Amino acid sequence: MIIPHFTLNDFLPVMPVGVLMAAAIVLMLSEVFLTSTTRTYQAIIAALASIVAGGIAVNNAFEPARLVLQGYAVLDPFSSWTTAMVCLGTFLAVLLSAGFLKHRNAERGEFYALMLFAAAGMSLLSLSAEFITLFINLEVLSVATYALTAFLRRGPRPSEAGFKYFILGAFAAALLLYGAALIYGATGATKLVEVSAALPAAFAKSPALVYAGLGLVLAGFAFKVAAVPFHMWTPDVYEGAPTPVTALMSAGVKAAAFVAMVRTFLFLVKGIDPVIPFTVFSLLALLTMVGGNLLALPQRNVKRMLAYSSIAHAGYMLLGVAALFAPKLVEAGAKVGVLTATPLTGTAQDVSVAVYKGLLFYILGYTVTSLGAFGTISALERREDETRGNTWDLERFAGLAQRKPGWAAAMALFMLSLGGVPPTVGFLGKLFLFSAAVDAGLLGLAIVGVLSSVIGVYFYLRVVVYMFMRPAPIDAPAPFRHWTTELALVTSAVLVVGLGILPGTITEWFSRVGMVFGH
Amino acid sequence: MGLIGYLLLAAGLFSLGVFGLVTRKNAVGVMVAVELMANAVNLNLVAFSRFHGGNTGQVFALFSIAITVAEVVVGLALVILLFRARGDVTLDLASELKE
Repeated sequence: MIIPHFTLNDFLPVMPVGVLMAAAIVLMLSEVFLTSTTRTYQAIIAALASIVAGGIAVNNAFEPARLVLQGYAVLDPFSSWTTAMVCLGTFLAVLLSAGFLKHRNAERGEFYALMLFAAAGMSLLSLSAEFITLFINLEVLSVATYALTAFLRRGPRPSEAGFKYFILGAFAAALLLYGAALIYGATGATKLVEVSAALPAAFAKSPALVYAGLGLVLAGFAFKVAAVPFHMWTPDVYEGAPTPVTALMSAGVKAAAFVAMVRTFLFLVKGIDPVIPFTVFSLLALLTMVGGNLLALPQRNVKRMLAYSSIAHAGYMLLGVAALFAPKLVEAGAKVGVLTATPLTGTAQDVSVAVYKGLLFYILGYTVTSLGAFGTISALERREDETRGNTWDLERFAGLAQRKPGWAAAMALFMLSLGGVPPTVGFLGKLFLFSAAVDAGLLGLAIVGVLSSVIGVYFYLRVVVYMFMRPAPIDAPAPFRHWTTELALVTSAVLVVGLGILPGTITEWFSRVGMVFGH
Repeated sequence: MGLIGYLLLAAGLFSLGVFGLVTRKNAVGVMVAVELMANAVNLNLVAFSRFHGGNTGQVFALFSIAITVAEVVVGLALVILLFRARGDVTLDLASELKE
């Protein structure tokens, strides 16, 4: 390995990450020098940093797709949009946390810095085009989230959730690392471009090594995106983590891991029979969609239900991934060559563009909806709940519509969006994704997806029924008030409806992610 | 011993790590198992590096060691937290993750 000499120009394409990192360091230093007891200013700095980083990422999304950082990362609209969505998720999660932590009397300085470090890891993960870089960024994001999961130290739940997440996360990272090592062993390269070029020869020489490597990398990613059967940790961890952190995990971590998985496998399937990746991803999508929805069905604990629902949503995204590897598209992609820096044209490529657009729009929709839903739940939590078990029981939502109609309306909106009911962003996301999958020839799987999302409507609507049609219990909690929480919820609600009614420009922008570096 | 010997040794260590992860009841034991898995991979990386020539694998192994250390630091902090919250560090991952 030649130790690369980077110049300042090399780092310009990853500016969003630089902004997030710099802000995180500023926040940590401010903790040393400032001794103020309120820390809303930290939330504001963190929110501003994520806005700036997101703005730069949106700007980057219109640049042509290319390798940057001497082949260690890529800059293409797909990853830039992901970065922008991660920043949006971080922005909302930071605002939610400000109110949440103040209310819990748990405002400590490292929280926002950790959140920004996690966001930086997520953004870089979606850009990585080399195994060492990929692994480092996965760990940057994971270590920060382990610490965030156990941030509220009272009661046994946070430490258990944190440790469980740590063990399963370290296990997944070890699997991914083992896979990367085997692929490096087979090809002698760690940059995805070089790996992809050397793969056909490696297949001829030692197929077992390559298959084992690919399988382990896939298993590592499957843990991170919580695909069934690698989902066991999700409900416990999502339930035990502070709710704004859960929101960030369900949206940002998942989106980044998804994009990294798509990118890695776009390179790694070269030379392999195209039926294999297609079958594997289809199977994962099928299990995850059906499994997630069925497991969520009996849950009375709303936070746990949302955790299972996030598994189901990962299943719908996996449907999009499976569509990308549909034999029809792989054949067309093979003709385009390694770098598809120009907008793809022609029928098969149009489908490919539609799939990327559907995936991105789905991730965007899920980000705003999930943050809104978890945010509403977080506002109903009480500090004294930490030692009791029924914090998120459906009963807590009973009669919310009479007591706080605004909050109930917002929660109902998020639930409808998760269920995929028009006119919300969740409906449009499903529409784009499923129709793209049908075009790619995955009719059967898309039908299963639609049917399983019908199951989903039952447990989402149950929350709405409790809020609007059940009388409130006497000791029902009122949501706490803090302007940042309210700002975050209003922003999510506006985005959920706004993007659901007028997706216009956004979808047009997302269509350009046909320019994806890969294949 | 050729490359295949190192690969088999690493695979054995990795499997031991997975076995330990599933069977150990003690949180510290579980962490040792995770460490064992990471080190098995490092062995693989260094062996491949020797096999291919060049030092990419060694650089990869160095990064992996550094990052695993950082990860374990957070893990140990979580073990301490677990101990403070519950008074002991035994856990039954296999049964707790069932559902």
